Amino acid sequence: MGLIQRAIEAEDIPTISISLNRMITEKVKPPRALLVAFPLGHPMGNPFDKDLQRGILLAGLKYLEAIKEAGTIVDLTMKYRIKGRKCTLCEVEAGR
Amino acid sequence: MSIKVLKDRIVAKLFTRFPGLLELWAKSREFVINVETPWALFSKDLSESRVALVTTAGVHLRTQPPYDMVDKEGDPTFREIPSHTPPTDLMITHNYYDHKDADQDINVVFPMERLRELEIEGTIAGIAPKHFSFMGHILGHHIETLINRTGPEVAKMLEADGVDAVFMTPA
Repeated sequence: MGLIQRAIEAEDIPTISISLNRMITEKVKPPRALLVAFPLGHPMGNPFDKDLQRGILLAGLKYLEAIKEAGTIVDLTMKYRIKGRKCTLCEVEAGR
Repeated sequence: MSIKVLKDRIVAKLFTRFPGLLELWAKSREFVINVETPWALFSKDLSESRVALVTTAGVHLRTQPPYDMVDKEGDPTFREIPSHTPPTDLMITHNYYDHKDADQDINVVFPMERLRELEIEGTIAGIAPKHFSFMGHILGHHIETLINRTGPEVAKMLEADGVDAVFMTPA
């Protein structure tokens, strides 16, 4: 996905992507990435967990504005992670 | 179901069940290694921005041709997803990850409904007329096609649609 992201950014359109693996993202070097601790197939978290999905999307848009250096990977693994079938630590984000 | 399809699906389930396998796989594989990174400054306010989604999760309309699951090197083509498509009109063709959860709720890989909510509440100015999807299992000679042809094609279509920012999701 990083290769497509680089092509879009090269067209002068700002991009941010979700990363599920730091090693791959560091090699491909997309302009901006958010690292989350979710398993493959779950970049936005659990099905029907609207709060979690919204939180990740908003984080992405926020960091699109905040990141000022190409190749930055923001580590959200302590904030957004799925353990078993439950999202942990996201309760803090949702204010519950 | 062919032996290849069966094998791919079993491996995909193992990767989802045991996330550590992704780390081992990443160590064992060669990736395109880039030294420099393209950069476009995001200088608009979000509330004035038109946002598009691009995913590599193998999403497509039920009426569109599925991605090629026979070619071992993957499929570098893309599908346009009109942004107001009902989720029930979408499906996933991708045997290299377990999309059981995403089949139930497409927002797990392609947060189109969450983005629409941000448009309705005014957090963003609007959604692009179309989003785009690829099938992110691209190997061998298809990598060049992706870098030199289909990736730039999508970039130009996003630009033509007046897109200010793109949120991207892998499988």
